[in-house]
Amino acid sequence: MTVPQPTPEDLNERAAIDRSARYPVMFFFTSAAAWLLFATVMGFVSSLKLRVPGLWDACPFMGYGRLFPVHFNALVYGWAMQAGIGVMLWLMARLTRSRVQHPVALIVFGHLWNLGVIVAVGSIWFGASRSIPLLDFPAWLWPVLAVSYGCMVVWVIPMFHSRRNTLFYVSELYLIGAAVWFPWIFITANLIINKGTAPVMGAGANAWYISNLIYFWMAPVALAVAYYIIPKISGRAIYSYPLAQASFWLLAVLAGWTGFSRYMGGPFPAWMPAVSGAAAIFILLAIVATVANLMLTLKGCTKLWEYSPSLRFTMLGMLMLALYAVLSAMSSTFVFGKNLQFSHFLVGIDTLAFYGFFSMTMFGAIYFIVPRITGAEWPSGSRIRTHFWFSTYGILTMVVTMLVGGIAQGGNLAQWNQVFSASFVNSSAYVVGRAIAWLLISFSNLLFLTQLGLMFLGKGRKTEGATLLHKEPGEASSAREVVGIQ
Amino acid sequence: MDTPDSKNIDYRQGTVSAVDLHDAVRRETPLHPGERGTVGVSVLVISALILIFGGGHLFSTSNGFNSSIYISSHYVPEPRPSLSGAEETAAKAAWIDQWMSDGKKVYANCIACHQASGLGIAGQFPPLVGSEWVDGGTKRLGAILLHGANGPFKVAGQSYNQLMPAWSTLSDDKIAQVLTYIRREFGSFPEGEDGVVTTEMIKAARDEFSGQAAPYTEAELLAIPADAALSGARVDLQTGEPLP
Repeated sequence: MTVPQPTPEDLNERAAIDRSARYPVMFFFTSAAAWLLFATVMGFVSSLKLRVPGLWDACPFMGYGRLFPVHFNALVYGWAMQAGIGVMLWLMARLTRSRVQHPVALIVFGHLWNLGVIVAVGSIWFGASRSIPLLDFPAWLWPVLAVSYGCMVVWVIPMFHSRRNTLFYVSELYLIGAAVWFPWIFITANLIINKGTAPVMGAGANAWYISNLIYFWMAPVALAVAYYIIPKISGRAIYSYPLAQASFWLLAVLAGWTGFSRYMGGPFPAWMPAVSGAAAIFILLAIVATVANLMLTLKGCTKLWEYSPSLRFTMLGMLMLALYAVLSAMSSTFVFGKNLQFSHFLVGIDTLAFYGFFSMTMFGAIYFIVPRITGAEWPSGSRIRTHFWFSTYGILTMVVTMLVGGIAQGGNLAQWNQVFSASFVNSSAYVVGRAIAWLLISFSNLLFLTQLGLMFLGKGRKTEGATLLHKEPGEASSAREVVGIQ
Repeated sequence: MDTPDSKNIDYRQGTVSAVDLHDAVRRETPLHPGERGTVGVSVLVISALILIFGGGHLFSTSNGFNSSIYISSHYVPEPRPSLSGAEETAAKAAWIDQWMSDGKKVYANCIACHQASGLGIAGQFPPLVGSEWVDGGTKRLGAILLHGANGPFKVAGQSYNQLMPAWSTLSDDKIAQVLTYIRREFGSFPEGEDGVVTTEMIKAARDEFSGQAAPYTEAELLAIPADAALSGARVDLQTGEPLP
């Protein structure tokens, strides 16, 4: 199917949309990147503390019980959600061909969100944590976060409503899904936990929330990006559009059932973790279909991975999504799960989801979006390459050591005649891998933040031509006739 | 960096004509509507496997969606490896419970006179409850059981004139069991003792009182000290093994 080449009017409109999105989206990206650097450094510090428990013994602020939630909450609410919201706004504006209205108001709400995250992370660090993973912040704060999220994401609705193109693209479906699902899961989880229910149910709702944050918010946003970036860069149509739509509905139907299997064997009726485990297995259908669809779209022009930063990050993110889905399905079954629950493995797959899959895809989107909204090119391709490899090796080190360490620790925990601390002592060697992983990732994100900062300040490269991972596109340019590779 | 023929422009300078647009905007390809490609057999096979595994997991672990079942049959804790013999026998019934219930069976021989309640019949048969003969040491009891006793007798302040027959035809085990039963059920026993009479003690009693030909009289019995105990090791109530 051939698509008419854009007219000058189309190009001007495209540029106008990018221009309208410039300030709010750049605000979200840069503050997210700053949070990311903070979160990854905290990831390193907390891993170090876990490996050497006697470190900074006198200082309550440097205990693992505070450092880890600080790191985790900053990673999710500071970086991931903010980057996702930035991408969501730009992508929706482009897909519906409508400009981002009232950018100043958007930036104000963005500040509100940041303020909320600062208070959340700060109160955890000062010891007011509630020890509910990812909902650690004081109870009064959740309405603030919910309202500021709603105020930012509500921009998507009028854009979608006034869309001027006839094509209802699958990315729009995913974005609308993500926009409305997050308030649902966030409010539901907080109401159940805060408004007096059995503590067991609170823990279950918490596990449900984390699992749904991944499958109901991160996966849709990342898939919207993948279904946009990959056809854009390869210049091809999605291999099977009906399959893309079907996998959306499959995800929509199944994601809400996942989560309880995290506490399998706990005092829930046995069918609850069983259903969650089955949902985590069935969701593989959607993920396999999606990844296969994207790979088939790219078939024959995989050389592009070598040159286009966006494509490389996005595809790696999608492969990580597949890996995450497989590992999470595996650990949701009783066979593997009963020895893996409550171990390092959980940290490993959560990090795989938040960093390996979601963040990688967001990097892909940011490398695509920022040159367009700032009107300049990325300063250095080799720095992007370094960012990619340090992040990739970091997250792989993380996943492998946490998986193996989790099996070791879980095996120890299952031995009833061993003291609890033995499970930590025996698996503490693997925590070294986790510390090294965060060190590599922190370094890569320092590069990312400086590059993004330069773009923010208008110091990007002003000469023509995309910044690619390698200078000469060579074969890649012949593999693809259209000029845009990035 | 900024060359005159550069196609990259700073948007902050205001609107520009299409030819002057930023390169990134121009080089971008339009978004194609999707195609309708078909996926290979491999994807279908993988999907089928996922369905089979998922369905298998769901129906084998959900326990028929019965909300009163909390532990799934697939989430059974590892069997506890045993640390010591004591751990294992704790699970079994204690030895003393078995010994007492055996003693109760032997006591069926005594019910006709002493009654199931151990209270006897006032004026005719003496009680075991509150009897100074039962409450003391085991030596007098052993002597009465093996060789019988002939009245008149004073029990708990009342006089009884009856002949209690000798029970030496019962095995040592049975005598030991019934004595244990009587002492722990109806009597009291001296402090520091647990009321148990063992087979070993009865064996020792048979040897000790072998010279006695007729049933004991009250005077003969009173010659045995009230708190004298038969010789024999005390046993562990859980295992029945002699204590060191």
